[in-house]
Amino acid sequence: MSETVQSVANEVILSSGERRRITISAILHNEYFLNSVSLILFFGLWQWAATSMVFGHSSSLASPYQVLLRLQELFTTTLAGLSLWGHMWASLRRVIIGFTIAVAVGVPLGLIMALNPYVNAVVKPLVDLIKPMPPLAWISVAILWFGIQETPKIFIIIIGSIIPALLNAYNGVRLIEPEYYDVVRIMGGKPWDEIRLVCLPASLPAISAGLQIAMSSAWSGVIAAELVSSRSGLGYLIIQGMKVSDPAMVIGGMVIIAVIAWCMTQFMDWLDRKLCPWRRDIKGM
Amino acid sequence: MAFETVNVRKPLLLRLLPVLSLGIFFLAWQFCVAPPGVSDWRIPPTLLTRPTDALILGINKLTNVNPDGATLLTHAGVSMEEAFIGYVLALAIGLPFGLLMGWFSVVRGVARPIFELIRPIPPIAWIPLTIFWFGIGLGGKVFIIWISGIVPCVINSYIGVRMTNPVHIQMARTFGASDWKIFTSICVPSSLPMVFGALQIALAYCWTTLVAAELLASDQGLGFLITMGRNLGRTDIVILGMVSVGLAGAVIGVIIDRIEAKLLAGIRR
Repeated sequence: MSETVQSVANEVILSSGERRRITISAILHNEYFLNSVSLILFFGLWQWAATSMVFGHSSSLASPYQVLLRLQELFTTTLAGLSLWGHMWASLRRVIIGFTIAVAVGVPLGLIMALNPYVNAVVKPLVDLIKPMPPLAWISVAILWFGIQETPKIFIIIIGSIIPALLNAYNGVRLIEPEYYDVVRIMGGKPWDEIRLVCLPASLPAISAGLQIAMSSAWSGVIAAELVSSRSGLGYLIIQGMKVSDPAMVIGGMVIIAVIAWCMTQFMDWLDRKLCPWRRDIKGM
Repeated sequence: MAFETVNVRKPLLLRLLPVLSLGIFFLAWQFCVAPPGVSDWRIPPTLLTRPTDALILGINKLTNVNPDGATLLTHAGVSMEEAFIGYVLALAIGLPFGLLMGWFSVVRGVARPIFELIRPIPPIAWIPLTIFWFGIGLGGKVFIIWISGIVPCVINSYIGVRMTNPVHIQMARTFGASDWKIFTSICVPSSLPMVFGALQIALAYCWTTLVAAELLASDQGLGFLITMGRNLGRTDIVILGMVSVGLAGAVIGVIIDRIEAKLLAGIRR
């Protein structure tokens, strides 16, 4: 007897009660086997490329082991007065400040724009004006305006993350099914009830998606700002590695950046599940 | 007639407000910034430039190569070329890859771990490594743009295939279609809306990354224009560069929208 459970969205068998015979073809199609093959291939290729100097000279790629050693060294010694922990905190602090300001301004403004046509008529043209400009194009102006201290970096983060936060809140409210409002009205609800019972909960998934986009754009914004001008942070770390031709430091910095970005994504996913547990999106990846 | 067209006119105030808002914004900008060489209570021209000055400079820059070595159109052309090559490469590799990953478990098993390793790295963080590898020429910028464009391409086409209606697949199975046949005639067409979503997202990413790449490593292009303006202390050039980048991005966005509307006319979304 075999019992199978199938995923709703597509043809994938989630679990099967049948015992599979171990054959070569089964092993070849096993996910874990394929995953490990691909990882081994990846790191093997990396090692080979680093040792045989595919990119010409020794200062263009470091082997995985060298990167690990360099990372360990960075954790214990200091660079520009800060250990790796210090640089991580410098970047994270900027992101937290900038992201909080952007969300605190962007989300309420988006909600108000969607609820009040007059506010919308005033603010929307200005948002449309700023929207197509990549946040990184502001770096030069930010440096001219605020110097090279913390402010320009936080400004870039705000510019980069306020637009997705605002637009998602705005579209989240606008795309609510009108039937929901009708229900509240039929039950004798006041306009405030419509906002409280329909607008806020129904726009939460969109807002939460906006926060995710805002977070990742804040993270790449802070790296870019630190690449251009900074004395601390992970972006500074990798640009410094470039200046002294130390590929192990550059790659180590990239690894740390990727790990933090991954943690942020996980955190936002967790927040998303907490905020709107009713949402049944197909999260493929 | 079965139905009547009802014209709901917006109140006059609502139609006027956007115009007023933009008008006041530009007027305030114009009058709160001092013209070059004047210093009074207004914002000095080292910090901001008047919109009219930026416009005049823009027209002037169409023919004048000073002070950064190329006309505005040359810069825009270089940027567009880099963005276009990177974008097309990202589409050409990312879309088929994502589609195959969605349908074939072997491809998924092999490709996914590597993809997941590379995905969280912001494309901008690749810039130093790219400069090691390719120098500051065209190759490096194309590589960074390619990296930033390929991630949304793969994800969207993958999800597009995974979201295929299982009934369609089962129907095809019942009629004896092969795996490959199901893939090409059911999964790929039904993932098209997601794929087109990817086209737009990837383009926006490419354009953003392009500016960053040019800020750091370049000798021509709109991002370079911005950097040069800052290095020379010419705020008007910085503003002009920013406006050009925004404008070019908006124009490309509109073109993609048009193409999408044409191609996807029959698909309800």
